[in-house]
Amino acid sequence: MTAVLDTTARPTGAAHRIWSVVRLNTANPWTTITLPWMILGFIFVINWLIWWIINTAAGPEGMVEAVDGLQWSGASMFIFVYMMVVAIQSVNLTFALALGYGATRRDFWLGSALTFALLAVMYTVGLTILSVIEEATGGWGLGGRMFTAIYFGDSGWTGRAFAYLTLLALGFFFGAAIGAVYVRWKSLGVTVFFAVLSLLIVALVAYLTFTQSWPAVGEALVSLGLLGVYAWSYVITVLCAVVGFFILRRATPRS
Amino acid sequence: MDDSRPIFVQIAEQIENDIISGQLAEETQVPSTNEFAAFYRINPATALKGVSLLVDDGILYKKRGIGMFVAEGARERLVTQRRDEFQADYIRPLVAEAAKLGIGSAQLAEMIRKEENQ
Amino acid sequence: MSSVIEVQSLTKRYGDLAAVDDVTFSVGENKIYGLLGRNGAGKTTLMSLLTGQEFATDGRISVFGESPVENADVLQRISFIKESQRYPEDFQARHVFRSAPWFFANWDPDYAERLVDDFRLPLRTRIKKLSRGQLSAIGVIVGLAARAPLTFFDEPYLGLDAVARQTFYDRLLEDYAEHPRTVILSTHLIDEVANLLEHVLVIDRGRIIIDQDADALRGTATAVVGTSKAVDAFVGSREVLQRDGIGGLASVTVAGLTDQDKAAAVAAGLELSPVSLQQLIIRRTSMTEKEEVGA
Repeated sequence: MTAVLDTTARPTGAAHRIWSVVRLNTANPWTTITLPWMILGFIFVINWLIWWIINTAAGPEGMVEAVDGLQWSGASMFIFVYMMVVAIQSVNLTFALALGYGATRRDFWLGSALTFALLAVMYTVGLTILSVIEEATGGWGLGGRMFTAIYFGDSGWTGRAFAYLTLLALGFFFGAAIGAVYVRWKSLGVTVFFAVLSLLIVALVAYLTFTQSWPAVGEALVSLGLLGVYAWSYVITVLCAVVGFFILRRATPRS
Repeated sequence: MDDSRPIFVQIAEQIENDIISGQLAEETQVPSTNEFAAFYRINPATALKGVSLLVDDGILYKKRGIGMFVAEGARERLVTQRRDEFQADYIRPLVAEAAKLGIGSAQLAEMIRKEENQ
Repeated sequence: MSSVIEVQSLTKRYGDLAAVDDVTFSVGENKIYGLLGRNGAGKTTLMSLLTGQEFATDGRISVFGESPVENADVLQRISFIKESQRYPEDFQARHVFRSAPWFFANWDPDYAERLVDDFRLPLRTRIKKLSRGQLSAIGVIVGLAARAPLTFFDEPYLGLDAVARQTFYDRLLEDYAEHPRTVILSTHLIDEVANLLEHVLVIDRGRIIIDQDADALRGTATAVVGTSKAVDAFVGSREVLQRDGIGGLASVTVAGLTDQDKAAAVAAGLELSPVSLQQLIIRRTSMTEKEEVGA
């Protein structure tokens, strides 16, 4: 018998379509979840061994000085850069497949933003728990600092959670914006994008130098505090999210 | 399938051949257009066109909800039709050519008999 | 027959190059269309425009009665896995078949599984490491199992061996018979698919040069062979698609001969032979090239 396909508009709501994009982004959890945690675990093991060597070499009295240095650990920074790469690849490659599946750019962007938000929350929860353990065990028994490094502030676990979430969000949406520039204008676009960005930064530095505003900037930063500065980064994150959408809206998947 | 004629005409001819040879007996069901399409690896719409051609000629008829059947007397009519075509397509040019070469009908019959015996 | 696609004066320009050049046509519902043309003729660009992936420079596209661009109601009913489709990093074929059902309401998982067997597609190998044929098989399986009301196949046979190609054609016919839908099959292997097609669109240098029923197209051209003098006398002012000659002999492909014409040609001592769809299209497309060179 002939089954006639339903060719009329199906009542597939926007929520369902956006959720499908979230699922597509995580259809292979290896890239977005398994591998990052494995790398983080590996870095942790290496660091733990280094802390152990330092402890053994420095002895109890030397450790007092060493612990001061360990707070500058950048070991957990990789996760933020990794998530930026995840976002770039999603907007480049997953985008191409989503459009082949008949998704709209709008649904893709909203679904990906939701994916990034959910991943950021997941990593924030995980990192926060690890940081609490790090605190409670006196640096994993060795005075080590990986999840309570100085970049995450000294306002307890809530402050650290805020710092993680902020950096993850920045990584994701900055990456998404770069990905959108790449898909729309290819590698030349990315080159121009970074050239313009560098020029803007140089111009800002020049401006601050010539107007002798550095002390004022320093004061402002101090009064804002680390977390205050992080809070301001949401301006960049939101800008990336909005501008990235308008860039991708007129983009054709690369082939 | 050859390239010179529309495929649906060739499908119709194929079904006719099967009826003439007795493979498709009168009052039996013929395969569905989808089966024809799959067998000959052609578009189902093309197969349907071929079958419709035979329905229009009264060679096949439709039983609602069941399928296509070979009509009563279909074979007889096809054989008559093919004989007429044979006369037009082969005998007429044969006789014309024979006349050109000065072959009389007795001699022509003799030649045909000789050909048959080989 | 209602139309699924209506295209009017569609143009897509990249700089000075018109990849699709002032094209007008429509696509009827539940038919198999062949989008035929040489490499670089504009097939993929045209399909990208129809699926809202590319943006038109000029003209109008209507799919299921609306513009496809950023239109979820329209796009949900379309499946278009490009010949050059790219997949997320580290994706394996199983990830594709896991995710496709989230986007296609008519997806048939059992059918997809059977097709994976038919094409012997390894599910747990990274897509990057698959052969060209296996990559094509993924696109074919998605296109078939999605049962999207409007399905595009973009050169789906690349890298597939003869057996796998036949499998694809057989499965397409079977499934199309059970679940009729509008199929647009882009290809330059015309003879292989000629019998599957109900309608033929030939694109050459961005223009649609043939838009005809496949059956009507078949037998529209005939090769006439004989002495140059006799051939010329017969051809007269007819449209000549191609002309070859050796010494006093000529072979000319002409269009639109009636039965009387053919009888007259035979009577004039000329030999006639049919021209296949592929030959016809090659002659038509190479002809436009000569014309342009001459112009």
